[in-house]
Amino acid sequence: MIDAPSSRRLDHRLPERFMPTINYDLCRVCRRCVNECSYQALEFKESRVVPSGGCVACGRCIAVCPANCIEVRPVPPQFAPHGNWSERSRRSILAQASSGGVLLSSCGADDTHPPIFDDLLLDAAQVTNPSIDPLREPVETITYLGRRPGRLEVCDGKVIVQEDDTPLIRMDMPLMFGHISLGSISYNAQKALFMAANELRIVAGSGEGGLHPDFYQYADRICSEVASGRFGIKPEYLKGVAAVEIKIGQGAKPGHGGHLPGEKVTTMISETRMIPRGTDALSPYPHHDIYSIEDLAQLVSVLKESTEYRLPVGVKIAAVHNVGAIASGLVRAGADFLTVDGFKGGTGAAPRVIRDHAGLPVEVAIAAVDRRLTQEGLRNRVTVCAGGGVRSSADMIKALALGADVVMVSTSAMIAMGCRVCQQCHRGLCSWGIATQRDDLTSRLDPQVAAARIVRLYRAWNEELKEVMGAMGIDSVESLVGNRDRLRYRGPNPKIAEVMNVKHIGEGWG
Amino acid sequence: MIHRKDRRDRTDRLGAPVRAENYIASSPPGWQGQLGGCGIASLISLKGERIGGERITRMLTIMEERENGLGAGYACYGLFPDRSDQYCLQFFFDDEEGKRNVEDFLQGRLDIMHDEVVFIKERSTISPPYPIVWRYFVDVPENRVWRGDRDLGEEDYLVEIVQHINANVPNAFCVSSGKDMAVFKGNGYSYEIADLYDLDRYSGTMWLSHSRFPTNSPAWWAGAHPLSLLDWGVCHNGEITSYGVNRKLVEMNGYRCTVLTDTEVVTYLWDLLVRRNRLPIEVAAFVMAPSTYQEICLLPPAERRLAEWLRITYKEAFLNGPFSIIVGRSRPETTLIALADRKKLRPMIAGLSPDDGVAYCASEESAIRIVEPDARTWAPGAGNPFIAVAGKGVLRRGTEPSFQGVRV
Repeated sequence: MIDAPSSRRLDHRLPERFMPTINYDLCRVCRRCVNECSYQALEFKESRVVPSGGCVACGRCIAVCPANCIEVRPVPPQFAPHGNWSERSRRSILAQASSGGVLLSSCGADDTHPPIFDDLLLDAAQVTNPSIDPLREPVETITYLGRRPGRLEVCDGKVIVQEDDTPLIRMDMPLMFGHISLGSISYNAQKALFMAANELRIVAGSGEGGLHPDFYQYADRICSEVASGRFGIKPEYLKGVAAVEIKIGQGAKPGHGGHLPGEKVTTMISETRMIPRGTDALSPYPHHDIYSIEDLAQLVSVLKESTEYRLPVGVKIAAVHNVGAIASGLVRAGADFLTVDGFKGGTGAAPRVIRDHAGLPVEVAIAAVDRRLTQEGLRNRVTVCAGGGVRSSADMIKALALGADVVMVSTSAMIAMGCRVCQQCHRGLCSWGIATQRDDLTSRLDPQVAAARIVRLYRAWNEELKEVMGAMGIDSVESLVGNRDRLRYRGPNPKIAEVMNVKHIGEGWG
Repeated sequence: MIHRKDRRDRTDRLGAPVRAENYIASSPPGWQGQLGGCGIASLISLKGERIGGERITRMLTIMEERENGLGAGYACYGLFPDRSDQYCLQFFFDDEEGKRNVEDFLQGRLDIMHDEVVFIKERSTISPPYPIVWRYFVDVPENRVWRGDRDLGEEDYLVEIVQHINANVPNAFCVSSGKDMAVFKGNGYSYEIADLYDLDRYSGTMWLSHSRFPTNSPAWWAGAHPLSLLDWGVCHNGEITSYGVNRKLVEMNGYRCTVLTDTEVVTYLWDLLVRRNRLPIEVAAFVMAPSTYQEICLLPPAERRLAEWLRITYKEAFLNGPFSIIVGRSRPETTLIALADRKKLRPMIAGLSPDDGVAYCASEESAIRIVEPDARTWAPGAGNPFIAVAGKGVLRRGTEPSFQGVRV
């Protein structure tokens, strides 16, 4: 047997990546850092706090230290330099040789693919059109989500508004929170998101983990997700909410399912997901009743029927290479809105090989979907939501200009709550009480405080959106959506600009 | 008196050189559209009487600070009382070949009832070459097929023909294609264009006009305003900051953009919203220059619902950025529409002659006063359309509430 124990077996312990460093001149030995470190990377030994290995740079100790005496330093490269065999690749190989498993990770792809957002520059108005100061004049960001009729019928000179046929959700800004399930994050974290969505008057995704009865009060701001595991789907989950979304894929792991390990399936999670306590919650890779587009059309119809056509029903897909044609199929299958999730989108756990290597950057995906739907005369029928790697208001604005009606954000909301993107969500030890189900950790997050931080963040983004629109001479966000004329590409590969139908810097239009 | 100048010496009013390249029907190489400021002026006889071209020329040319010699144009409505039921296709041809190309293409597709050269007085102050300007009076045949479609309405069929010619037929450009109207435009100052076509020889019940101050050259005769499709004529002063969005909507509805200017898209939007989607003019104007949601909240419930659905449904038709436009049509009635953007960032003034016989709209009051010293003038509001109909009067001054007179 190859895997036999051996006296010559070596542990192959990997060098530390981060080193908490304590300034003992300032340390009061209160040991709060030791208690707060859920990764047990600090210990109290011989009357002082010392690092004990395994630091992930979650930053909790830094934040709680009353003496401000902790620094977390990245450990310098410990491997002999090599141009091809990066430290990252060697670490992966060593870890995999030890475990023999699929390497897991979380948050979005952390690879070196540079974001295309950073290669896009925005336009501004000069002379031939005046810019607008949003503090003096109205600049509107109200956005509607759902199917649009394409045209209004006119009968005898009277314009007919058939309001009941086309349910739409009104939002104060072109922004929605992505789907983060209860299970992948804590009760308190999800509560904070819903409270913030309610306050911001936007929509938050429920994730695929059902809806806790405590959150029914926010239902009119919640988009319920119907994913392949069909967890927690019951009448209350579909009827009082703002919208329903069928999840086909997720940007961080296109073509992949989900797996919430049994140890995270607490009593609360089991009740909400409607599965036995302690069992693994497995989401199949595909929906096993959707093996083709006509099957999807049936599920869309079923959801519309069961919600009495009162709710927009959308479909979320991961951005993959043929995203334009797939999007067109979704509209033809009856989707009222589409969500396109780019490959830098976040996740609570995903195989690293898929997270880092599969899918399409959301920038290109948005442009492809927008163009394809326009070519097919469908673009003014649906709302296109897109996200996955949107880090700032600038990214949001560029995503809008590329053709998204609504921009989906998640990781930035997590960061607003406290997340430091240490990418350990899959371990369930989140020291900030976000991506964990451990009571002692979840109690660290005050939903009220976290919600207030989220609200402040996105209100500021919305102000920045108004500032940029005003500078462009645009006074309402619908005139920015898909307005690729107001973008220029300055990156290394003009082919990308061509594919996105964005002009190169230096190219005017007159 | 205009001084003869050597071609190479041609400059604009402030002395900046004007490039000699001059394109007529074929677009300049690398053409990506044009932007800049403009002067617009229009008049309509409310009694349905005919007004000579001399009057509109005086209106337009007085606003000399609004142009720099790189394009001007006029549209006359009620121009062909004897052939008012035939479509008048007026063309620019670069050469005889362009004319042959068009005639070959029209063969079997449209019934040409009459054709004639459009009078051109060749002048040295406008850079040659001069176009061949030709007009065809046509009927649309009963048995018409466009790309396999046998059910296309007369007007939709004509739109396809005209757009196909402009996109694909070399050395030719159809500048107007409506009934009882024609467009006279070109590369030059407003007075030069009026003189070139000898506008004094024409009279009609309504005139639109436009002079431009583009920030770029070369000049393209076909790209000058008014832009026209069927009987729609549009003169536009402004820069639409939502051009990319608006263009998507018209392209989704089958229009092909060949001139690549915002004015072209505005023309197609009027055709789409009013002719094809049958929206009342006031409603179409609301779609293009809507009230804010804050203002919409204050409307009575039925109007509020209409306003919200108009904004939602036609959000790609919202013209953002500064503009004032003058729009004309001859069918079903000769109608003049004037509209400024919802913040009114470009000027628009309306006027009425003391006997209520003639209505005017223009960028500047001077344009009205020069022909009607005692006119009563007023400023239509931001995003608020002025509408006048020949034989009927001013239906809307542009100062009324949004949906006044609209059934909701």
